[in-house]
Amino acid sequence: MNAEAADADIIARTKAGDADAFEALYRRHAARIYTLACRMAGSADDGEDLLQEIFLQVYRKLGSFKGDAALGTWVYRLAVNHCLDYVRSRRAKMNKLTETLDADTSFEPHAPRETPIARLDLERAIERLPDGCREAFVLHDVEGFDHKEVAGLLEIAEGTSKSQVFKARAKLRGYLKK
Amino acid sequence: MHPSEEALTDYIDGALDAAARAEIERHLETCVACRRLVDDSREIKTVAASLDLREPPIRSWMRLERAIKLEARPAGRGAAFWDAARLGWARPQLAWLAAAAVILVATAVGFKLLPRGARPSAPAAGTQANAPIVSDAASADAAAQSVEAELRQAEDHYEKAIKGLEQIANAEQDVFDPRTAATLQKNLAVIDQAISESRAALRAEPANEPAQQSLLESFKAKMALLQDTVALINEMRKGNEAGAARIVSGLKQKGD
Repeated sequence: MNAEAADADIIARTKAGDADAFEALYRRHAARIYTLACRMAGSADDGEDLLQEIFLQVYRKLGSFKGDAALGTWVYRLAVNHCLDYVRSRRAKMNKLTETLDADTSFEPHAPRETPIARLDLERAIERLPDGCREAFVLHDVEGFDHKEVAGLLEIAEGTSKSQVFKARAKLRGYLKK
Repeated sequence: MHPSEEALTDYIDGALDAAARAEIERHLETCVACRRLVDDSREIKTVAASLDLREPPIRSWMRLERAIKLEARPAGRGAAFWDAARLGWARPQLAWLAAAAVILVATAVGFKLLPRGARPSAPAAGTQANAPIVSDAASADAAAQSVEAELRQAEDHYEKAIKGLEQIANAEQDVFDPRTAATLQKNLAVIDQAISESRAALRAEPANEPAQQSLLESFKAKMALLQDTVALINEMRKGNEAGAARIVSGLKQKGD
């Protein structure tokens, strides 16, 4: 069965009330969505809550899936949008400003690194990034969106996306040297 | 003068034309700070693109399944959806276990104290929209009381949920081998210690915000550990060795 037919099969079976089909869809995509959610939210706890909310949305909206893209792409887009809504809403509630972004981003020389950056260290450092530059960094450097796409998703100018990614890298550099 | 942030980002991302690239490279030849910044940023970008996926906790599926089951019921959608016989839960001794676990999981999530500065300043009870604004001191006092009441409510909620989970875990603990039981006990002891310390700090200073946050985080950690324990019991009763091994591995990592 090709990917398109497999997607159609999962959708038809889920709509018919086959719980195994939805579980199969969850198992296939949960790790990617959970990883994205943890990184966008900056915390595993929030990532777990987001994972549940995203798959509830998938369940609710599966009937409206038109098949214009692969099911996995559709789930992923839905997840990105949900994560962005969450981060925006959290920022509004917390009234969190990004004035601290200017710290650690100066052009003062840093000593060269003596060891390569470990993935686990980078994961932890990403969690420390302020909202705003973290989303831009995760979307651009981790998820592979270009700046035009990041700008569209975050509803900011393309230049702002570049500036946010620059600041995120500079802050990460500071965190990883400490 | 250093290049702009935008120009350096474009350079690192390989998005500049030849002339602009050459201009940046001329600057990098003489500016150690920018050269190191570019080198480090490139390394961060490379490592970021190769980060591993994370597996969600096993309990995530249990939570989702329960939520969907509840959602499907009123509308009558998918009448056969999420049949209780799935996952081996039809066996009587597991049916109550699974049901109790997911109900507790569903009721005990979502408590978070916002930092004080982020709290909306709701008018005191009985005040009218056009009433004079209460003094700053009265407002701060009301906010502090509100936070403490919120904390008490959250604490009460967590304690009830934790008690239920503990009953399940204690009743079924015969399934664990001694090493796993010891790991669970060790992790629980660490969290209980954190709860005791947070409570002691709050007794001395009820408005201590870090202690309030720490207490809630500790409750949340205990909930998560007990949820993992219940998920582990389920996997072991089902004979799912791979699922059980994944949970035990997660428990050990948390305890390290």
